[in-house]
Amino acid sequence: MLGPTDWVIWILATIFEAAVVVCSLRRQAFRRYFFLNLFMLLTVLVSLGRFRVLMHYGRSSIEYRYFYFYSDALLVILLYFALISLYSRVFEEMRVERYVRFGAVLLLGGTAWFSYAVVSQSSSRMLTHFAFELSQNLYFVGLVLTYALWGAILKLRETRALLVQLVLSLGVYFSAYAASYAISNLHPDLFSHMVYLFPIIGCLLPLAWAYAIWRVPEEARLAPSRLAVIPR
Amino acid sequence: MSRKLTVILLAMLVLVGAMSLKTVVTTHANGTVTVLAVGGAPVPTPWQVGGAPVPTPWK
Repeated sequence: MLGPTDWVIWILATIFEAAVVVCSLRRQAFRRYFFLNLFMLLTVLVSLGRFRVLMHYGRSSIEYRYFYFYSDALLVILLYFALISLYSRVFEEMRVERYVRFGAVLLLGGTAWFSYAVVSQSSSRMLTHFAFELSQNLYFVGLVLTYALWGAILKLRETRALLVQLVLSLGVYFSAYAASYAISNLHPDLFSHMVYLFPIIGCLLPLAWAYAIWRVPEEARLAPSRLAVIPR
Repeated sequence: MSRKLTVILLAMLVLVGAMSLKTVVTTHANGTVTVLAVGGAPVPTPWQVGGAPVPTPWK
């Protein structure tokens, strides 16, 4: 059974995810950040689906487990494309969208191949293991890509405040996940204390995005000196 | 070097970096399965254990 904390975190996360889409629609930014919004919209739908499966079959059921991990793989792939769409926004003036898309597909294919190579060694339920491994690997690919994007933002002296906030939120999200993942692997005895940490981190990304889209106008610019001081 | 080759090189570098990072992070794992997942939904029960080692996922 779920405790009240589980319910509160889950409901808050779903509200924040829906808030991103609503804020985008109100700010007429839905098409501009299409993949971000598509990801959030699908996350809301998946949350509703998970709720239905959970209520019908229970948390320890095989149905909930399958639905949870397959839907998570789908969401992570969409999150990956949302991140790539931020790359396209950052590099749009350099007119290299074609290469960004090519690199994204290549990297996704490489990650899928690596995941397959791992699970093919020891798995009887190939597809299920593959979906799980792919989603976990894509988190780490997303983490590295986000840091690379932040490096590009600093190098190109990107000043679009909304874009910078979206990327930074994603960086904090991936970093917090990776740090929690590392701590819970290094100190398994702490895992029981961190059981709410992952869902709470999951709440923070939509909250940060909703806040950024609602509060920061598209035309807002940061002073370059706030981003980095590069001596000449 | 052409742009396409540069993109291929960068993609491979990112992949190697990400998988190395994951390997470093999970090197000291003692069988406890930690799950990274999107959203606030509770992780299915078999994955949420204390310090006890869990069986191989899905077996």
